[in-house]
Amino acid sequence: MALIRVAALGFVVLSVIYVLLSFSARAAFRRKLRREWDDERPTQDRDAFVKQGMEDYDASIRPKLFLGVYILPVCVVILMIYLTNFQ
Amino acid sequence: MQYIRWGFWILFWLLFASFAHYTLPQNDIVRVTGTEVIRKDFSGFSRLFYAQPDAGDSEAVNRDLRLINTTQANGRVMVYRNEDTGWGWPPYFKFDSSNVQAEASEYSSARGQEQWVAVRHYGWRNPFLSIYPNAIGFRVVDGPNANLGLPWFNIIFLTTFFGLVLAIWYRWRRFRAARIDPIIEDVQDGFDAAGDAVSSRGSRFKRWLDTWRAKS
Repeated sequence: MALIRVAALGFVVLSVIYVLLSFSARAAFRRKLRREWDDERPTQDRDAFVKQGMEDYDASIRPKLFLGVYILPVCVVILMIYLTNFQ
Repeated sequence: MQYIRWGFWILFWLLFASFAHYTLPQNDIVRVTGTEVIRKDFSGFSRLFYAQPDAGDSEAVNRDLRLINTTQANGRVMVYRNEDTGWGWPPYFKFDSSNVQAEASEYSSARGQEQWVAVRHYGWRNPFLSIYPNAIGFRVVDGPNANLGLPWFNIIFLTTFFGLVLAIWYRWRRFRAARIDPIIEDVQDGFDAAGDAVSSRGSRFKRWLDTWRAKS
């Protein structure tokens, strides 16, 4: 059925976008932590500092916001169906 | 090589422009003069310009096609088809073609008592291919010269699209400068070094030949 095909295709495409976005955001945050350590030179060991920072990042809401990649298009499609057929 | 590259990109963007012009929504102000249904036998090429059967029906070689006859303020006629796009391409998610046909009947008006409506549609009318733009919906407007406002959807869509293209292009350039260009330069340096070695060997051979020459 056409709906299943669209859903499957959308899931694959959005998954690629999700993986790309979340990986590049993680890498950018890691770079930021390294730079931070280089600038501030805290007493903590560099690797431990970065590891700690990444654990805090994973626990925070920021990586979960990328799930919006799945939610947003579904909302847009629902809005478009409403505007096209029920307005 | 440079000409082929330019030709390729010009062709690519021309194709993209016509694709966008076909697919993105536009509005026409028209007077509906009637509706009809014709039996349509789809041929191989022009099949491309029609949507699939109504959501919930199955595909056959031919089927009925709803048409909406209209007249524009300048007297020209325009015929729209009225098909579900369903879950297929282009993603208008239109399921209500029967309702649109009923609205078209509702808005149809005679000369002298014109009821002007804006038809949101996509697609092209081409009599040679027998293709019609697909009407998405109607909106009652004041007159044939009513202001339709800015095409917000198209503005947002095209801005986002070209923003994405620029972002990818910029990253690709950076990637090429960092990873691919050094390799090509390396290979070229290798060729240059080999060329130098060959020419120096040549000159050595020549020097050896010269030793057989009579000393002047």
